[in-house]
Amino acid sequence: MAEPYTITNPPLVCWSCHDRTLGTHFCSSCGKLVQLRGGIDYFTLFEMPRKLWVELPALEKKFLQLSWKLHPDNFVSASEQERELSLQHSSELNDAYRTLRDPVARLEYLLGIEGMRKEGEHKQQAPPELLEEVFELNESLEELREAKASGGDLAGLQTRLQAAEKSFQAQLGEVDARLQSAAREWDAAFDAKADEGARKKLLSRMNELLNRRSYIRNLVTNVQKELQ
Amino acid sequence: MARIVGIDLGTTNSLVAYFDPQTGRPQCIPGPHGSTLCPSVVSLDPDGSIIVGEPARRRLLTQSERSIYSVKRLMGRGPGDVQDELKLFPFRIDPASQNVIRVRLGERVFTPPEISAFILRELKNWAEAHFGEAVERAVITVPAYFNDAQRQATKDAGRIAGLEVLRLVNEPTAAALAYGLHERQRGKVAVYDLGGGTFDISVLKLISTGEGDIYQVLATNGDTHLGGDDIDNLLQAQVREEILRLHQVDFAKSADSVQELRKELIRVKHELSAVDRATLRFPLAGGAVYAREFTRAALDALIAPVVERTMKPVRQALADAQLQPTEMDEVVLVGGTTRTPLIRETVEKFFGRKPHVELNPDEVVALGAAVQADILARGVKNMLLLDVAPLSLGIETYGGAVAKIIPRNSTIPASAQELYTTGVDNQTGIDIHVVQGERELAKDCRSLARFTLKVPPAPAGLPRIEVKFLIDANGILQVAAKDLRTGEQHTVEVQPSYGLNDAEVERMLEESIEYAEQDFAERQLIEARTEAESILTATAKALAAVPDAQLAGGEREKIDANVAALQAAAAGSDYKLVRARIDELNQATTHLAELMMNSALSTALEGRRLAEV
Repeated sequence: MAEPYTITNPPLVCWSCHDRTLGTHFCSSCGKLVQLRGGIDYFTLFEMPRKLWVELPALEKKFLQLSWKLHPDNFVSASEQERELSLQHSSELNDAYRTLRDPVARLEYLLGIEGMRKEGEHKQQAPPELLEEVFELNESLEELREAKASGGDLAGLQTRLQAAEKSFQAQLGEVDARLQSAAREWDAAFDAKADEGARKKLLSRMNELLNRRSYIRNLVTNVQKELQ
Repeated sequence: MARIVGIDLGTTNSLVAYFDPQTGRPQCIPGPHGSTLCPSVVSLDPDGSIIVGEPARRRLLTQSERSIYSVKRLMGRGPGDVQDELKLFPFRIDPASQNVIRVRLGERVFTPPEISAFILRELKNWAEAHFGEAVERAVITVPAYFNDAQRQATKDAGRIAGLEVLRLVNEPTAAALAYGLHERQRGKVAVYDLGGGTFDISVLKLISTGEGDIYQVLATNGDTHLGGDDIDNLLQAQVREEILRLHQVDFAKSADSVQELRKELIRVKHELSAVDRATLRFPLAGGAVYAREFTRAALDALIAPVVERTMKPVRQALADAQLQPTEMDEVVLVGGTTRTPLIRETVEKFFGRKPHVELNPDEVVALGAAVQADILARGVKNMLLLDVAPLSLGIETYGGAVAKIIPRNSTIPASAQELYTTGVDNQTGIDIHVVQGERELAKDCRSLARFTLKVPPAPAGLPRIEVKFLIDANGILQVAAKDLRTGEQHTVEVQPSYGLNDAEVERMLEESIEYAEQDFAERQLIEARTEAESILTATAKALAAVPDAQLAGGEREKIDANVAALQAAAAGSDYKLVRARIDELNQATTHLAELMMNSALSTALEGRRLAEV
């Protein structure tokens, strides 16, 4: 993911008619595609509030409408500059749709533009209360690998790992539930125009939960891979 | 706007089609042999000229060392990739091949894009002969599961053939377009496309909006080295083993008879799609004859593993689209190999519905390409195609792992930005390795490109370079870099791991133009001379049959003068002059042609030319 976007959105001077223009995609003056605006985030692109509950059919509808206008197919016979701009606009649109459509990517993106996810910060460390369980899991995984290599008896280890997988799956479900409730709180705070402090607190809680989620998910994936 | 054609550059056959505004339907263009299929075979004549299509296919039997088929299997691949292929296909790879394979035909070597360009140029000629005007722009189809290098190689082939490739369209998506136009389908569609050498499965959603129809690809998967060729190879291996065992004849020693046997086995395979039994009688060196009866049941048992191999990508594509087989509203079969009954049965059973086979599975992809060409040509559209990237794009990170930056099945164009900085003071370059694939280690993925990002000297960690990776609407990667401190755009020279660079493509284009101009004039001359010959013969015949008395005064002299002029032109080498003289003689003999016919017919045939009577 890129740098967190800043919300400065100065009016552009259109490359084609040289008028000042405010359009997101097309010049309000001459109708040509405008240069990509770095300051526009995905929510703004879809004319949506920065909330985590998204009405998927409405999102899709907007995506298709914008695709219809921005897709490079429309500009095959246009100037090279317009072809390039359509490529930039339509790829941004597709990236935005791909991100907002998926609840986890959406949250991650929101945390990014709210300045919560700085580079390197989401390097995953085991949540302290999980340490013991993770330690046991890694041991079992190691034993399984050794048993596989030496042709030893696998059945007992596999049963143990399957139990561990189940336990982590359950924790994953729990994290997801907590994330959903935090997301609802975020949306309510947004509607209530809550103050900066309350917002920051929610964001940091969601950030923590998201890190925990991806950590557990990795564990589950690793176990599944070894069990296959 | 000039015409844009749609081209299906296939493993076994290639086709060219256009959208006919009169009928509102796409249509394939036949070649000089009357068929719309151009066998994807290229042969180098001992005189140095290139032969393409049906005549080249015949040369597989007599001049196998100078001929090549299924070159699509080599597109965008390196010598190390094709070792398995070499056991099964008679490709003569030049040992000096580096990143790009070079194939030997007789005394010359060509790259796969050059060989494909010969096929494209042949189809371009078909289209030009059909329209009577130059054709310079095309939409070309590629297997949906083609990676970046294979797509780039296809685009290069187009350029070498003198075509501006406006878009590469995925084959199953093209087929869906053709079917959509044909059947006005709606809802969720699965396209199962098994061709000569490639397999694709695509899951699409067809949406009607106020502005028009949108074809949105939800997921795609496949295998770019799986197709009818594999069935042929299985049959061949079985039969060669039997012949060796029963008759002690080893085919490894004779390339020409291998091709003869391959041709016969393909016939047997095709017959078994229609009937339950087929026989083969194959005379061997030394007078013995190998005779055998094949049953469909035995063929089915032999090819079951090939059919099963297609089902894994099918399941993956559905899982990626988050759909169950029974949720599909339509299933479409594409590609000649789907004529095989076992495949039809397997697909029908899996999806629980009868697949569509109404359109000719050989032609449907080219027809769809023509529809897309029409959309691009008209600018104002009533249809939009949203396709996806078949493979995840990633960059190699610390320890050889891959960080996925654009996941597979992302709608294209798609992009991702990555921020880079330096690790040591005054570091001047950052090495970046871009790969494509789903595996976790870079060495298990397909290497697309390596490049070094230039960085102005500065303390470690201070430079901030943003690299933008963008997959365009053709599924081809573009890279741009921006120095965030200065706002300066860097150009990134990306050397493809398995492709031609621009200079090489340019040189091949120049070479091919020299050939092409010569070729074109020569071909036109041969055609004009043939036509001249037939009108001269017809005129002589008519003059002998019709008494001079029936001719008007001076008519005979006029015809004689035109005949002499045409003979003189045909002896020269200016095809345009020959055409002009043909027209003049046709004019001069209109009355003579009428006299040739009895009065009852003459009204019906009025205005016909002499050669047609």
